[in-house]
Amino acid sequence: MAGSVALLELRGVTKDYKLGKTVVRALRGLDLSIEQGEVVAIMGPSGSGKSTLMHILGALDRPSDGRATIESTDLAAMKERNLVTLRGQRVGFVFQTFNLIQTLSAQRNVELPMIFQGVSAGERHRRASELLGKVGLGDRVRHRPNELSGGERQRVAIARALANDPEIVLADEPTGNLDTETGTAILALLKELSVNDGKTVILVTHDPEAAEIADRVVVLRDGCVADDRRSPSAGGES
Amino acid sequence: MFAEFLRLAGQSIAHRRLRSWLTVIGVFIGITAVVALMTIGYSLEKTINSQISGVFGTDSFVIFGGDVFGRGGPHGGDAEGYALDLEALKSLDGVSAVAAVRRRNGFVQGKPKADGTALQGILPVRGLSYELVTEFESFVGELGVQEGGRLFDPDETSVTVLGADIAERLGVRVGGTILVAGDGSNELDLEVVGILLQSDDDPANDSFVSGMSQTDEDDTINVPYDTMDLLWGPAEDVQYTLVKAATGYNVDEVAGRAEEALAERGSEISTLTYTDLSDFVGSMTAAISGFLAGIAGISLLVGGVGVMNTMFTSVLERTKEIGVMKAVGAKNSHVLSIFLIESGLMGLVGGIVGSALGVGLSLVGVSLIDRFTTGFDMVWGIDPLLIVYTLVGSFALGAFAGLWPARRASKLPVVDALRYE
Repeated sequence: MAGSVALLELRGVTKDYKLGKTVVRALRGLDLSIEQGEVVAIMGPSGSGKSTLMHILGALDRPSDGRATIESTDLAAMKERNLVTLRGQRVGFVFQTFNLIQTLSAQRNVELPMIFQGVSAGERHRRASELLGKVGLGDRVRHRPNELSGGERQRVAIARALANDPEIVLADEPTGNLDTETGTAILALLKELSVNDGKTVILVTHDPEAAEIADRVVVLRDGCVADDRRSPSAGGES
Repeated sequence: MFAEFLRLAGQSIAHRRLRSWLTVIGVFIGITAVVALMTIGYSLEKTINSQISGVFGTDSFVIFGGDVFGRGGPHGGDAEGYALDLEALKSLDGVSAVAAVRRRNGFVQGKPKADGTALQGILPVRGLSYELVTEFESFVGELGVQEGGRLFDPDETSVTVLGADIAERLGVRVGGTILVAGDGSNELDLEVVGILLQSDDDPANDSFVSGMSQTDEDDTINVPYDTMDLLWGPAEDVQYTLVKAATGYNVDEVAGRAEEALAERGSEISTLTYTDLSDFVGSMTAAISGFLAGIAGISLLVGGVGVMNTMFTSVLERTKEIGVMKAVGAKNSHVLSIFLIESGLMGLVGGIVGSALGVGLSLVGVSLIDRFTTGFDMVWGIDPLLIVYTLVGSFALGAFAGLWPARRASKLPVVDALRYE
């Protein structure tokens, strides 16, 4: 790994949730580092802390303890406001349930993250059209989410995740609500982001097929990394 | 960015069309009532003002005894009359014309009958300045005299114009004479030069002068102002004086100076200008329409609560959407803005619809008032500022009602919001 600084670096990260009077520890001193351009699949049974990890990797939440850095910037030390800016510019999210805004067209959904970054209307429009073309929806820009198939919706969501040209794309069960064939196509699209554009793609998934496209599979169990191995198909590296 | 948020909010409202409209209805009912009442009040004020200015002009004022609106004063406004130095008033700077009205009860004797007896009595005698007819026509109105008669000529003193009833009772015609006795041994034979037409009973046709006199026109003996001097001496029984300010002078200033000058000479008087009357009418109509609009305003409050309720529901069902917006980079302030604009927009649409309906309703109201009152030509008018205030205010009402829900939306933790189903 050429000794470079990891893009994402987690050291001894714990995360506690309060549920009424009991405190649930979702992450227990987790260590993980992810390099620029990697495709990482994070797997594990329910309750292993996958979602919590994803929230921290995506700057949606801060660790209770330990260090979590994105390019040496410590999340714990950041104010909420800066956290928002950070994820707006450097992280793109893809959700299991797509989470598109139902009232907006595909085009407008893709423009949304750019609106919050203050991108000009012309630039927004150009870029949203380009991204929708890239995910194969150039002819469906005016459609509302409920006029699109599940696969198409997830493509819109991927285009939206790329709107502000982030380094990291975080996908939470991106194939969970799709049939196998469509799921395969979506995974191929995500893989392309790494291969062609050098994006770091993190997949939180149960789907063994998703693991197959990954360079690396991280398995969580009880809030810790239980297994971290390079996928044989990825090959090449150290 | 505001334009974008406006668009997002508009799309969200349009998406929930039925509920949005129901909320808007809650707002516009109140606004319709407020706008209609305020506009009717404004029209009323405008109508009364135009009627006042039709009589007063903007250059004339009236001098009354005591206090105009009856607040104290030795004569309590319902004066026996006040002392007046007419010449001093005429020579005051800025005064172009003066006309005064004096009134006394005097001993009057009609034409002796064949048997030598004549009708006698203590009757109201009114002294009128010649300028009343020449300079203050709008105050006097049409003074009709019966055929063969005329009004006074300038500088006449031994003449009289009688009310229709008294002429009959005294048994005199045009060309006859009556005797009027004043103070001491002052006595004058006055030639009847005219008899006024019988006044009709429609108060709407009253002129200012007949309205202000506490006498029955038909029973009054009118004489030239100077004749009163001959009978009763210098004026101490003036009922009111009309003054016209010279061109280029501010009527309120002239009135103030006249008031001072006369007070120095011992007259207990007060002045009434167009501005005074118009202010008085304005404060009356403002109080009435303000009171009514205040009651109507309660329905605005209800409308505001409606907006708040709708926004709370909206925040609840869009929790996940809020989470998504925050995940893709929306700051708390962005979410707050979007929700505030959304509730403000509902208020504004309510304001627009309510203003339009309110204006329409006021038109109907004014034409009804016009139809069911006599002698009062109600004119519709609207204060453009009212519409501006209403629109700004209705947006503010909506935004204010949405403030609490919007704050709640903006403060939702992103992780919880995303998990919300």
